[in-house]
Amino acid sequence: MTEFLAATIRIATPLVFTALGGILSERAGVFAVGLEGMMLAGAFAGVITAFLSGSMLAGVAASVLGGAAMAALAAVATTRFRAEQMVTGLAVNILAVGLTSFLLRGLLGHGEAPTIRVSPLAAMPVPGLASLPVLGPVLFSQPVLTYVALAAAVAIYVFLVRTRPGLTLRAVGENPAAAFAGGADPLRVRMLAVTCGGALAGVGGAVLSLQQVGTFTDAMTNGRGYLALAAIIVGRWMPFGTLLACLLFGAADALQLRVQGLRLPVSSYVIQMTPYVVSLAMLAGFGRTAQLPAAIGTAFARDRPSS
Amino acid sequence: MLRMLGITKSYGSVRANRGIDLVVPPRTILGLLGENGSGKTTLMNVLFGLVRPDAGTITFKERPLADHTPREALAAGIGMIHQHFMLVPAMTVTENVMLGWDAAGRWLRPAAVAEHIRTASHRYGLDLEPDARVGALPLGGQQRVEIVKAILRGAELLILDEPTSNLSPPEVSGLLDVLRRLRDEGRSVIFISHKLGEVLAVCDEVVVLRDGAVAGRARAADTDRAKLARMMVDRDVSAPIAREEGAAGAERLVVADLVASDATGVERLGGVSFSVRSGEVLAVAGVDGNGQAELVDVIAGLRRPTRGHVFVDGADVTARGVTGRRQAGLAHIPADRHTTGLVGDMTVSENLAFRDCDGPPFRRGPWLDFGAMRVAATERIARFGIRAGGPDVAARTLSGGNQQKLVLARELTRRPGVLVAAQPTRGLDPGATRFVIDEVLAVRASGGAVLYVSTELEEALVVADRIAVMYRGRFAGVMRRDAVDITRLGLMMAGALSESPDAAALYGRKAR
Amino acid sequence: MPPASQRVDLAAVRALAPPLLAVLLAFGVTGILIVAAGKNPLLAYWSLAHGAFGSWDRIAVGLNRATPYALTGVGIALCFRARVINIGGEGQLALGGLAATWVALHMVPAPRPIATLCALGGGVLAGAAWAGLAAGIRLKRGVHEVLATLLLNFVGLLIVSEVLQGDLGEPGSGFPQSPLLPAASWLGRLVRGTDLHVGVLIALAAVAVGHVALWRTPFGFRLRILGASAPAAAYAGISPARALMSVMLLSGGLAGLAGAIEVLGVHYRLIDGFAHGFGFNAVAIALLGGLNPLAVLPAGLFFGFLETGAVAMQRAVGVPTPLVAVIQGLTMVFVLSAMGLTAGRRRV
Repeated sequence: MTEFLAATIRIATPLVFTALGGILSERAGVFAVGLEGMMLAGAFAGVITAFLSGSMLAGVAASVLGGAAMAALAAVATTRFRAEQMVTGLAVNILAVGLTSFLLRGLLGHGEAPTIRVSPLAAMPVPGLASLPVLGPVLFSQPVLTYVALAAAVAIYVFLVRTRPGLTLRAVGENPAAAFAGGADPLRVRMLAVTCGGALAGVGGAVLSLQQVGTFTDAMTNGRGYLALAAIIVGRWMPFGTLLACLLFGAADALQLRVQGLRLPVSSYVIQMTPYVVSLAMLAGFGRTAQLPAAIGTAFARDRPSS
Repeated sequence: MLRMLGITKSYGSVRANRGIDLVVPPRTILGLLGENGSGKTTLMNVLFGLVRPDAGTITFKERPLADHTPREALAAGIGMIHQHFMLVPAMTVTENVMLGWDAAGRWLRPAAVAEHIRTASHRYGLDLEPDARVGALPLGGQQRVEIVKAILRGAELLILDEPTSNLSPPEVSGLLDVLRRLRDEGRSVIFISHKLGEVLAVCDEVVVLRDGAVAGRARAADTDRAKLARMMVDRDVSAPIAREEGAAGAERLVVADLVASDATGVERLGGVSFSVRSGEVLAVAGVDGNGQAELVDVIAGLRRPTRGHVFVDGADVTARGVTGRRQAGLAHIPADRHTTGLVGDMTVSENLAFRDCDGPPFRRGPWLDFGAMRVAATERIARFGIRAGGPDVAARTLSGGNQQKLVLARELTRRPGVLVAAQPTRGLDPGATRFVIDEVLAVRASGGAVLYVSTELEEALVVADRIAVMYRGRFAGVMRRDAVDITRLGLMMAGALSESPDAAALYGRKAR
Repeated sequence: MPPASQRVDLAAVRALAPPLLAVLLAFGVTGILIVAAGKNPLLAYWSLAHGAFGSWDRIAVGLNRATPYALTGVGIALCFRARVINIGGEGQLALGGLAATWVALHMVPAPRPIATLCALGGGVLAGAAWAGLAAGIRLKRGVHEVLATLLLNFVGLLIVSEVLQGDLGEPGSGFPQSPLLPAASWLGRLVRGTDLHVGVLIALAAVAVGHVALWRTPFGFRLRILGASAPAAAYAGISPARALMSVMLLSGGLAGLAGAIEVLGVHYRLIDGFAHGFGFNAVAIALLGGLNPLAVLPAGLFFGFLETGAVAMQRAVGVPTPLVAVIQGLTMVFVLSAMGLTAGRRRV
């Protein structure tokens, strides 16, 4: 059981980063459909840099930049050019898959798929706390990025609720005209939010490639970006709720991997379905009061003629 | 304190501001009067930095203000209270006040800000609760949040754009009191309105705009309503339009005990019953927001009533929807021609057909008959004198007046038995306004029944055979035009007088 | 003044200019990437074109590939016209293939055209039902259709995987796939000796019907009004609920049909993951075609031929096939940006 819980937290970590990044974007009014691509870009940038430089830290830094770069593309298109947010996210996902696979082969493998290997980040037990029963192995013997993820959830919460930039960001997502009249620049805020969100998603990708597997494979995010979107919905666009949702989905994934050994009467595919079904049920259950940021998906224009 | 010189701004071919000069001394409430389209809001948007002027200079407290953003205007001490509030409904009063307020700090201190709000609220009589969700406040309350925002930011010049259009009469007098206290404390106010009574009640000076330029200036003590009205429209507003007198015929539109709620579930119609006869215009006056929009929507089929019935020529059309009502002979000129009455990106001929695309003559079998549409369009363009490049130009390229003619052409060609017109002259110049009124009277002359909803009392008086006043979702009273007493009408609009049978109950329920 | 039909074509041509520019720009940027990889972009593009058009065989494969794109793209374009965003095409397509497989396997004694038609019909019904489910959730519970179609998309794909593990799976094949379908249900060849199947004609028909429906019928008129202005549509007596449901059923049905065609015409069995990439790419194609059904056809062909040429490009010049996804993604971003900029001036 402890092993299962520890695995849950491990598996949930990439989701947590990505979902937190998505919260930044969505709270500012931009649908975060491109999380999948940002995560993948981060995974690629991270592991390649770690491989070439030998430094994990450089790898994580690169993953931040990778995710942010993908996000910047989507940010500019949706805010400056007023491209449709949803579909731009899809485009970024398609682009990221192609770009990462292409660069992997083109830049490193000379046309073929090379094998990249890095030793994955090891678990970092917290001295003292790691020897606690149950909580010790579950919570305090995780790799470093998992601790960072939990800290990030707290940081994002504080940012959104307790700082002025966070307040401005939320206002831009609810009523950009009001934020504008209050002196903010909604376009700039949205661009920053999406880019920072992408950076976080990039770290989520680094967790995959640097912490969990130690290599890069084509499209390795495998839909986790969309799962993060579902987690945001279930978490009602709040950091702690989303964290819980990610843990829930992580549990489902951990369960799915163990279903053979546990001899459960349920197939692994059905378990994989549960996050999506649960999100849909939550959305349907709450219906119109689903607490989406009010201005999500809308564009903002400055010069409006009035009588 | 404020000096604006030579402000000019055009939006395409519309010249919203033509070289306007405006001077506001300290400790003054200045009224900016003008009809729709006179340029008041554009001028203020320029001042506040929401819009950049094509030409002109602004000097505020001896310092120039140019190419500035709202943030810089705020920092300089100009506070704007918009007609459409710039508030975030999902957030509390405190959060809305903290938004964009640099002095609130990087790390928010909601408790301290709440204390400031309470102090200011007490000092100026604003009655605000810091932890209330703004979306749950009445419109008057939301306006006061805007005011407290401006005050806390140290605004020395406050601009209020049509501040009373959504307020109940007690809220209006409350607002005017607040403004007087602000002036006495050393600030200046620009009070934008088209309501002569309020302007004269609270302002020290008045500037009248017409068609984008200054039409006149006066001290409030030296002028009166008639003089100001003439400056605003430069014609005699009081002469009624000649009409044929005749006995009204059978009842064509009958409305029985309509009860309806708006989109958020608040009840807006509390039981309305009336009838309109053939050859008669029933005007519905009243301050906007008293249920007129819901009344029109229910009668026209755009909203389902919670209770009650609508009859057109004897047939119960309540459940029949828009198409059923159209077939029964009901025509509807919506209040918002830009997004409802017309589809801007579609052509003139498509706009003339889009309510009737499911049968002859515009539909032949499974196909749309574009040829028939264009023939009809050409004919109607000629008959109604619509200035358009042809039936194939996009409707949004037409001027406001011509767009409204388009809507009229579509609705009136079928010789409706019942016409529901909602704010049909809003945003139109005098010539177009006259055209609309003439057409409405023509429907009346040919035996139709007209329900004419307007927030402009003068206009309602010109058109009506009978006038009803809406207040809080009911008819406060109905008067024949030849027996109209303006004072009584005004009182009815303020909710102080009611002629309905359960007046006492109505009145009693209102007094809280 | 030219008559309405000519006007529509002129507008369609003018609407194609931004997508064309976007494609050229995408090729340009990708060319830079190819240089960075140490290869010659012109040579790469030449072999790409050659791989796509070099022989009748290649053209046949490209047309086959374009067929599901065009079919799904038309449906999504009509959805977009009514301001409905349906991004669940992949799941609808997969379920369509699943239904077609089930029907084909269970109608063994049926003769040639009947078995195929029934299987295709099954695909249409399954896709329409899945899209209808999302539409129902949207209408009854107010859930944004993007979220509903996206979430159901993954559920649909997982259902197909699940079924392939169980009832419909071919035991002992080592790979999740169904048994080979009876030959009576296969889609016939259009040109003997090539892989080109009849599905291409179905796609062409769908494009034509979509175009006519949008521009010439009251139904299409209502969709366009709804997409232009919701209040005006209500004022015209158009029921947004009915329009949403009909357009979702239509696009779901088209996606399901596309899935059935893939199964019956290309693979002759249901293979896990056969639907991969179709749904999201179809959204790209609908946009590339400026939401005009007629223009969806060249957009679908573009994507189809791009993908067939990629393998040849890799073999000849050593430029990896994922480059094609780069071109597709960049094209999408550029087209979307262009559409965002010209939003006010588009023909409705």
